[in-house]
Amino acid sequence: MSTAIILTTLRQRFTSPLRLVMLLLLGWTPMLGIVVAPQVGFAPLTDCYFLALVLAAGMIGQDLSSGTLQLALARPLTRAQFVFSKWVAVSAGTVFVVLLQLIVAALVMTIRGAPVPWNDAALVLGNDVLLACGTAAVMALLSALVPGLGDLGLLFLAFFSGQVLGGIGVMKSWEAVVRGTEELQRFLKPQLDLAFLAQGGPIPWFAVVSYLSTVTLCLALAVVVMNRRELSYASG
Amino acid sequence: MPPVDGAGASAARPRVHGPGSTRRDPLVLLALALVLLVLRVALGMREPVTPAARLRDGLRIEAGQATHWRAPKAALAEARETGKPLLYDFTADWCPPCRVMKQQLFDDREVAADLEQRFVPVRVLDRRRETGRNAPWVDELQQRYRVSAFPTLIVVRADGTAPHRIEGYLGREAVLSELAIAEAEARGALAPADSAR
Repeated sequence: MSTAIILTTLRQRFTSPLRLVMLLLLGWTPMLGIVVAPQVGFAPLTDCYFLALVLAAGMIGQDLSSGTLQLALARPLTRAQFVFSKWVAVSAGTVFVVLLQLIVAALVMTIRGAPVPWNDAALVLGNDVLLACGTAAVMALLSALVPGLGDLGLLFLAFFSGQVLGGIGVMKSWEAVVRGTEELQRFLKPQLDLAFLAQGGPIPWFAVVSYLSTVTLCLALAVVVMNRRELSYASG
Repeated sequence: MPPVDGAGASAARPRVHGPGSTRRDPLVLLALALVLLVLRVALGMREPVTPAARLRDGLRIEAGQATHWRAPKAALAEARETGKPLLYDFTADWCPPCRVMKQQLFDDREVAADLEQRFVPVRVLDRRRETGRNAPWVDELQQRYRVSAFPTLIVVRADGTAPHRIEGYLGREAVLSELAIAEAEARGALAPADSAR
């Protein structure tokens, strides 16, 4: 892991005007719901998937297309370290935004005289940490495959194809197709609901293993793809 | 300055990158990913109810759930047999207040057990946004009770009379007290007009 890459990535993401505007819109619009109805707790806060996408888009591909990847890899740094550092930076950046959201939401509830459901806050934070790490891993793989913001295009293409195939599968009662598209969605948005911890229920092993499998597979493949990418000052 | 990992340089180099290389493959991570993938497939095949079947039936059955949601026909038969009112939970996966209500009410084992003593619960999961369509019984119930927002709880007698509507989620205590009124209405202890607020 490289602290310099992590810090540079965070600085790059949080100083991009477009990303900042999108983060503000996505992060603070739900606050209106809490201002209007503070008694519903953290319900208006949607999950951090789109926040993570805003920070993750082009996480490796933009370095590749701008030529900074060649410079970054001139350092004594393995490509695996580079990929992991990018993954940690995007995950940490997303969790930072979620933490800010939760703190502001708790403040609003306190000011409006509503009780702050701290257990829910812990659950939201836990779920969002896992979703941020999962989404960053998927985007690391997609971003290693295509330059620029092509990773977002690939993601939406896969989502759209999954929706269409799933719809056809339901209409035609093709269970294998429906199951396949559900697994695709599970892969594209890796998340794990930690409610079973709060409620003391049994561990949903399939969900746990699916999540871990997606994250490890995406990170491993991202490194493999990066290792096979030929870079030179003259290329692309 | 020579090119970094240039195409020319790599052509003369073997493709396998050994120890000390900046391009060595993460073998441990790859092995772990493979093991997890095999486990995932094995566990996926052992899932008691396939997602496809859930979609077809419009039901969502989750391992370890606190509330045991009934299928609509079975629920109707149970309500007729026991005299308990039906509790329809009109919900959707994408709806944040629905998720909070699920966590605070239906996933809470004590509350769930209490609700099941008093009602026959049926989850009516809207999947239009995800799959473009709902199971026919989901559409039919939504139309019958004119559900236009999520979450909506409908408490109704087995014969379909005395429906009581709770729209939105205004917190656990508020919903539980509304459910108590709805139960009293459905069991005839309270006329629906009496509870009009």
